[in-house]
Amino acid sequence: MRKVEHLAYGDRKVFTVSAFNRGVGMFLGRLPAVWVEGEVTELRRNDAWANVFLTLKDPTTGATLSVTIARRIYDRLELPLTEGETVHVAGRAELYEQKGELGLRATTVERLGIGAHLVALEQLKRTLAAEGLFAPERKRALPRLPRAVGILTGADAAARGDLVATIRSRFAGTRIVVCETRVQGKGAAGAIVSALRALTEHPDVDVVVLARGGGSFEDLLPFSDERVVRAVASARVPIVSAVGHEQDTPLCDLAADARVATPTAAGALVVPDVRELQGALVATRRRLGLAIRGRLERDRGRLERQGERLRAAPRLLTERKRAGLDRSGARLQALSPLATLSRGYAIVRARGGALRAASSARVGDSLDIQLAAGALAATVDEVRP
Amino acid sequence: MSEPSFEEMSKELEEIVVRLERGDVPVDEAIELFRRGQQLHAECVARLESAELQIEELTAPDPAT
Repeated sequence: MRKVEHLAYGDRKVFTVSAFNRGVGMFLGRLPAVWVEGEVTELRRNDAWANVFLTLKDPTTGATLSVTIARRIYDRLELPLTEGETVHVAGRAELYEQKGELGLRATTVERLGIGAHLVALEQLKRTLAAEGLFAPERKRALPRLPRAVGILTGADAAARGDLVATIRSRFAGTRIVVCETRVQGKGAAGAIVSALRALTEHPDVDVVVLARGGGSFEDLLPFSDERVVRAVASARVPIVSAVGHEQDTPLCDLAADARVATPTAAGALVVPDVRELQGALVATRRRLGLAIRGRLERDRGRLERQGERLRAAPRLLTERKRAGLDRSGARLQALSPLATLSRGYAIVRARGGALRAASSARVGDSLDIQLAAGALAATVDEVRP
Repeated sequence: MSEPSFEEMSKELEEIVVRLERGDVPVDEAIELFRRGQQLHAECVARLESAELQIEELTAPDPAT
């Protein structure tokens, strides 16, 4: 912006007329945007002009205000205004520097019939809310990486361009299916429903973005149409609503699974950042490798332990047998008569056999008495059976 | 028939990794799972590397015309 410079006559600062106007104009330019209500008078529109001019009149005091609106914006509003009609004009104060005249630079104009629309809209909103169409538990999660992103858009190059550019920068390989349709004016609601159906019936579309830039209240009305709202709520895939600006809440915003203020924000929501996904895949690949290696190593360890046990088996078997033999030897030992003799018993033999009863011997028989060490020869003197 | 989404593939891959990490899968099945995991991983990576943005235009019937 040019600087406002003054002349100096000694200590006196003096502004030229255009410098003064420019300075005041810059000051006015900092005032906030506002809505002004008034009656339309002196409407001048010409195809050759860049702007449309009108004068707003306050019906009670007769005060007037010059309003300038870009013809491009005015024509898109599709509201051929008539003189005497009451309107709301949104805009900022502006100074026409050449003449030092105050005016309003308008961004949109709305007919004052909107009050009735607002009431009907509020009624519809309550009805649909009561049906549970806007309930948080109805909201579906967006796919992490959709096979294809559906875009429903009007002939709005800016919204579409922003959305496509954001998607490209985050995930260049995205497939996009665009359905361009009428999004404002008569018949727009039906056209939007039809376009939405075409997009959701596409087999690869996993999410649909409603991309519609800002517009007047009336422009955005089709996105609050009951048919559109119901179609959004019952769509086969999640719907992201990027309709209007931050301050607008068309009813489709409430029925959608996510709502954003700009097409750029929608782009960031529907596709992931490819770098994040690649990082996550590297980590998953590492886990996969570690898991299978761990699994196989555990198996190898078990196999080795089994091998050791197998090799140890014959030795164990021999040892066990030897222990058994040792026990048998001891028992055998215990049964040996010689072992008995060593405890002081004796074997007495007569008539060729061991004597077990006194009655088996006769007086005068020769006895052979075997002891642990050596033997004795004796004769029976008496039998006591 | 549409091909599986990245979503589906990466979900299956994650399930395979979790099963393998739990370690209670018989070894033959573990090896089979690992092979499947490798394949899914490669497909996911390939999906991310296709750098061509494709734009397809759909025309829906306008009920008003």
